[in-house]
Amino acid sequence: MDDVFDLETLRHAARVAGFSWPDEELEAIHPAVQASLRLLATLETLPLDGVDPTTQYRIL
Amino acid sequence: MSADLAFASVIDLARMIGRKEVSPVDVVRAHLERIAALDGTLRAYITVCGDAALTAARAAESALAAGRPAGPLHGVPIALKDLYDTAGVRTTGGSKIFADRVPETDATVVRRLKEAGAIVLGKLHMVEFAYGPEGLNAHHGAPRNPWDADAERMPGGSSSGSGVAVAAGLAPAALGSDTGGSIRIPASLCGITGLKPTYGRVSRAGVLPLAWSMDHVGPMTRTVADAALLLRVMAGYDPADASTSVLPVPDYLAALTGGVKGLRVGLLRAYFLESATSEVRAAVEAAAKALEKAGAIVDEVALPSVAHVGAASYAVVASEALAYHTGLLKCRRADYDPEVRKRLQLGAFVTGAHYVRAQQVRALVRNDVDAALARRDVLLAPATPLTAPRLDERQTTLGDGPSEVRGALIRLTRPFNLSGHPACAVPCGFGAAGLPIGMQLVGRPFDEATVLRAADAYQRLTDWHTRRPVLA
Repeated sequence: MDDVFDLETLRHAARVAGFSWPDEELEAIHPAVQASLRLLATLETLPLDGVDPTTQYRIL
Repeated sequence: MSADLAFASVIDLARMIGRKEVSPVDVVRAHLERIAALDGTLRAYITVCGDAALTAARAAESALAAGRPAGPLHGVPIALKDLYDTAGVRTTGGSKIFADRVPETDATVVRRLKEAGAIVLGKLHMVEFAYGPEGLNAHHGAPRNPWDADAERMPGGSSSGSGVAVAAGLAPAALGSDTGGSIRIPASLCGITGLKPTYGRVSRAGVLPLAWSMDHVGPMTRTVADAALLLRVMAGYDPADASTSVLPVPDYLAALTGGVKGLRVGLLRAYFLESATSEVRAAVEAAAKALEKAGAIVDEVALPSVAHVGAASYAVVASEALAYHTGLLKCRRADYDPEVRKRLQLGAFVTGAHYVRAQQVRALVRNDVDAALARRDVLLAPATPLTAPRLDERQTTLGDGPSEVRGALIRLTRPFNLSGHPACAVPCGFGAAGLPIGMQLVGRPFDEATVLRAADAYQRLTDWHTRRPVLA
């Protein structure tokens, strides 16, 4: 994960998302992006087959 | 201003005003004087509506003299987190980006409170766009926790000014909002009562969003009874908010019987008590014993999926917050608090697949909480695992090891934002440094009445909620 998201990848991913942020800001968030991607990766390890995503928040 | 009036409850103020024992003008003026004397240090308010509040108070006095009280809050002053739209009064969201934003209409709950007779004292400090639990704000400075203003302790956020104002007697009650704990965290750190109702119980129309599917709005007060009164006024279906429920709104005050005999309480030890510091754990365990001694049936219960709440909450909040802020981030990026901008920018790296998996986890968490409540009336846990950190503190040590302060503060509250269940934070002790400790009671969807009954019964058994900070 750390190797995949270098600054150039980060810059590209931000552009794909529609943003053009200066390198100093991307460098500043780089460690946090790595940490958040590690956190999000845990979602992919969960046995969620057969679990419907929540789509309606009004309980009643 | 007498300390009695500064710390009178909403219910007592309404009663005294109704009996003409005190004038709404005197009550409003007294609070304005206290704000003038103390808020330079505490910084609870962004905008004080002094003239408008006095004008409204005079009108309330006249209406009362004419035998036309508006409702159960007639003449009672309240204050609003500065993300509630107020007609003709700027609503900044705690940001300089919205420094000159003046709404044309009131948020639905503000309108309902005014129709019930409440008078708006002012707009309260908050974390920029409600995105952070510490209570810090680079533009406005951080409000000071009144329990240790000298040591510059965090008030908690994001409803930082709401917590400080109510704890310090600068308002009898305030409104906050809670996306990951932003009502319950400042309530816990400032030693007051904070209610996050069920998702859909109270309209969010006219309230600046952080994350639509996680945002809840609710009252912050010094007593549970006051929260019950405010909730009764605020709650109910609103055609302007499609998430609101059509369920009738019960009389929450009438539900406060004072008794807990036979009430089934599930104490959340794994993840919740286990992560708390020893003094917080001891205080919450003592609260469980107090409820048990009063007739409640206490057992322990766990939420198996709770360990995944952090990742799921992050994916949902980061995605939804970025969606709201995309346009502003493109044209006003430099005007954001750098910390908040960073949090928003991180949302760009959350994929749609992450978001959907987070919603799957959300279903698991909701099922877990429902299952725990299937044979229990309420769940009991710490509201925060620690007392108020210093403003410059970034790392701390919890019961289960080291943690970033930010993550520690939201760890125990956000499961119930993800699940949508109602949760009420109340003070349950004081730590060695003299700082308040908060616990939370969690109930079934739309069963705020039972949550409030349990929390009120606890306040009748204890006096933590009656203690006041010493202010110069």
